[in-house]
Amino acid sequence: METENENVIQTAPPPVERLAYSIEEAAQMLGVNYHSIYRLIQRGKLKACRALRGKFLITRDELIKLLKSE
Amino acid sequence: MNYNEKPTMQQEQAAVEVKTAFAEHLSQFKMSCDAVQDIERNLPAIANEAFKSALLSRDQNKIIQTDDGTEWQHDLDLSKISSVCHRRVAGEIEFAIVETLPLKSGKEMKEVLNSGHNVREVLKTFTSDQRQVLRLWKGDVKALIDEHLTEKYPGQDMNIVADSFEYKMANAISQTYDQAHSQSHGMRV
Repeated sequence: METENENVIQTAPPPVERLAYSIEEAAQMLGVNYHSIYRLIQRGKLKACRALRGKFLITRDELIKLLKSE
Repeated sequence: MNYNEKPTMQQEQAAVEVKTAFAEHLSQFKMSCDAVQDIERNLPAIANEAFKSALLSRDQNKIIQTDDGTEWQHDLDLSKISSVCHRRVAGEIEFAIVETLPLKSGKEMKEVLNSGHNVREVLKTFTSDQRQVLRLWKGDVKALIDEHLTEKYPGQDMNIVADSFEYKMANAISQTYDQAHSQSHGMRV
C-alpha cells in the first residue's frame, strides 16, 4: 500500500500556477469584500482585464504588486 | 426576444439556480447599494456634522496619514473603511474622504478618494463615484451570469434570466440615485 501511495504522489502533476483570478478569488486573496475590489479597479489601483463575455479577471502579477507595494 | 412572454419552467429554474450561485455577489451588492443610499439620504446631516467636527476640534481628533504622505484629522466614519477627514491649509479647511483598506497581507492602504473645501460637494462626489463602482459591478455580474448560463444550459435561450438580474441591479442603483435626488428637492421622483 505504501508503495502504491508513493507512486501516486510521484506521478501527480505539479500544481499549475494561475495567471489570473476572478473578483471573488481576488477578494479572498486580499481579504476584502467585492465592493473594495471594484473600487480599486475603478480608481485604477488594480488593473483588470476583460475575458470573454466581459467578465473581469485580475492577473496574479497585479495582485502581488498590490500586496507588496508600500 | 419578446420579454412580455412568460418565462419557461426551465428559465424559472435557471433563475433560482443563478440566485443561489451568485448569492454572495447579490447580497454584497445590495448591502453596498444600501450603504450609498444611506449616505445620500443623510448627506446634509453628515456634512453638517463633519463641518462642526472640523471647526470645533483642533488637535484632539485622530490623525490619519495617507499613502501620499498627507495628514488628515478624522471627523466621522461613513463606513468601516471610509471616513470624512479634514486638514487646514493656509488657514482654510480642506475636507477629504479617506479610505483605510486593511489587506490580508497586513498592509493597510490609506488613500484620499477625493477632497475639496465644500464638504457637501466632497460627499456628493464620493457617492457619485460609488454609483459608478456599482455600475461596474453590475456589468461584471451580468457577464458572469451570462457565462454561467451558457455553460449550464448550452443552446438554450437564457437571455431573459440574465437580463432580469441585470434589471434588478440597475434598478437598485437608480433607486439609490433617485431617492437621494428626491430628498434634495423635497419631492418624490
